[in-house]
Amino acid sequence: MVTTDTGNSGKRNFAGGVHPSGHKGLAADSIIEVLPTPATVTIPMSHHIGAPCEALTKPKQELAIGELIGSSKAFISAPIHASVNGVAGMVCSVTLPTGKRVKAVPVKAAENQPDAREVYNDFFKGDYPTSGLEQYVPEAITEAVKSAGITGMGGATFPTFVKFLKNEKKPIDTLLVNGCECEPYLTSDYRLMVEAPLAVLCGALLAARACGARNIVIAIEDNKPLAIDAMRRAAKSTGITIMELPTKYPQGSEKQTILSALGRRVPGGALPLDVGVVVINVGTASTIARAVTRGKPLTHRIVSVTGDGIKHPKNILAPIGASYADLIEHCGGLTDDTARVVSGGPMMGFTVGDLTSPITKGTSGITVLVQQDVEAPPETNCVRCGKCVDACPMNLVPTRIALASRYRQWELTDTYHISSCIECGCCSYVCPANIPLVQLIKTGKALKTKK
Amino acid sequence: MGITIAMAAGVMLILALIMSVILGWANKAFAVDVDPKITAIDEVLPAANCGACGFIGCGEYSEGVVKEGAPVNLCPVGGAMVAKMIANIMGVKVEAGFPAKAIVKCAASYDEKAGRCEYLGERTCASAELVANIQSCTYGCIGFGDCVKVCKFDAIDIINGKVVVDYEKCVGCKACEKACPRGVISMMPMKDDEMFVVACNNKDFGKDVKKVCSIGCIGCKMCTKVDGSIIEMQGDMAVIDYDKYDAKTSVAPLQAAAEKCPVKIIVKVGNAGGK
Repeated sequence: MVTTDTGNSGKRNFAGGVHPSGHKGLAADSIIEVLPTPATVTIPMSHHIGAPCEALTKPKQELAIGELIGSSKAFISAPIHASVNGVAGMVCSVTLPTGKRVKAVPVKAAENQPDAREVYNDFFKGDYPTSGLEQYVPEAITEAVKSAGITGMGGATFPTFVKFLKNEKKPIDTLLVNGCECEPYLTSDYRLMVEAPLAVLCGALLAARACGARNIVIAIEDNKPLAIDAMRRAAKSTGITIMELPTKYPQGSEKQTILSALGRRVPGGALPLDVGVVVINVGTASTIARAVTRGKPLTHRIVSVTGDGIKHPKNILAPIGASYADLIEHCGGLTDDTARVVSGGPMMGFTVGDLTSPITKGTSGITVLVQQDVEAPPETNCVRCGKCVDACPMNLVPTRIALASRYRQWELTDTYHISSCIECGCCSYVCPANIPLVQLIKTGKALKTKK
Repeated sequence: MGITIAMAAGVMLILALIMSVILGWANKAFAVDVDPKITAIDEVLPAANCGACGFIGCGEYSEGVVKEGAPVNLCPVGGAMVAKMIANIMGVKVEAGFPAKAIVKCAASYDEKAGRCEYLGERTCASAELVANIQSCTYGCIGFGDCVKVCKFDAIDIINGKVVVDYEKCVGCKACEKACPRGVISMMPMKDDEMFVVACNNKDFGKDVKKVCSIGCIGCKMCTKVDGSIIEMQGDMAVIDYDKYDAKTSVAPLQAAAEKCPVKIIVKVGNAGGK
């Protein structure tokens, strides 16, 4: 299964996929702003895939930024840190837009908060070294990533340190840093690459040291020329390849990026490490750089607040646990014809029902859609046109899986490889009959796990 | 001419005789022994094939009783009468049990369910459950009727977002319990014509419940403090212990508890009125 070819011999493309209009111009040119500290933040005790954390705080306990407030003894988990200076409240429950009901620690912000400029510089500027990183031992990097509570910042929120653990049987040769950001509207990764290329490169080099990869590729879609330029200029003499990939959704999906950039196909049910690759997001890379070189845990993240329903689309560096309402308010609020607030992008994002719920480590964006964006004619019968089959980047037959799942034919869903579906939503996007294909497939997967 | 007919008739007759001998032999040689008890039980079962007994259908259950020694009182559709008849066939005694019935642990109608969002997807509870914030309460009934669709006995209905069970028709086959993605429906032994139910499934702390529902159990423990109460707290949720329920002694304390409940969520269900 492991290919020995370490070249970057991808065809720069994959079969299937769709070309939704990007809408990236809305927030692409807005420089990352630091969110003024909200009065309270509610920090959920589970952002990640894996075991939820136990809250370590007591009511009225004073907290400083970066103080550990949640941890778990389970192996696959990530600790959680206070994102503001303040006083902890009583543990409560919140519903995340992903549907998880989790415990959370409310923190009432104190008056002494760091200055916005200071925070910005601490995150993105200053000296992020891209050479002389030999002083960092791989194990120490992995440990620093673990204790900083770093999870994948692209949305999947898998604890990052797990990807770096050495596996004798499956050596890693390539680190792929994902800067595709193929979801329409979102611009947080783009702004990061333009404003802080050194942080991304430093993080990539550290991550490569940690997992033992000799080859580093940063993949960026070609609708971000400024980011490609900035990264290329910064990456000179580092040995890192900056690769331009065609703009297409879901170019940034792990398996598709690997295929496009490296020409390696990850088999169904396998992980990137089976083909000798570790994939991290550019946001994760910059967080790794900050955690290792400056010893700061993951407390803030960049969120694009964008869409036609927001008055002033912006990219915001927000403390984890700030509410959706706080961010939207900072961007001038919602317009009158707002129809949906989506956590993430429109293709794979989750609708937010309650704007007081907090943002998490995986919230890459807030997309506010207006009525004309969400209008959908009623569902009709499948006309067997095969558009979903053409669009499926995983070469599946979505209509069959969806209908088998609707009529609870579990054996049939296996025949059609339901578990290989990456839930990208291309099939629902192209379906002329407006069948909620991806939702049916997701339902099928959920019901099957329950059985 | 006459001879030809006679010959044809004779050949057919001889053939028929030979065939009948073969058939007669085959009938004995390849006979499958079916226990007459299985056939007898099969005849008394209601043939609803609902699967509530845990077997695939009525035929499998009757085999299960005879061959595997399955209990004789597993058929909720037939109830006590069928159990008695099967017991007679098997020559065993059956203890008097109580029929299981479905109870719905959510009494909120659309007016009480806070924060319902517009939803355009697949109209089943299983699909809607994947969409966070379909309504604020993540424990309560979603109201798209997956339970209604699986009920073979037409015993369940949704009226203004509230699930209503017809206790005349409910046989306790558990199909609705399995279909509900949130575990709102469970089974209880129907020990009386009317039974009390804590009609809330929200396991959160009272303050959080208040935010999402006006009639949710807030975990105040008032109902557990009534004399002779059989209500226990499971976390922040009140639960009636039906094992301790007695038709004579339990009604009064439960009635008192129902009156004390500040959100009036301990309700009466059953044949004689109720919900």
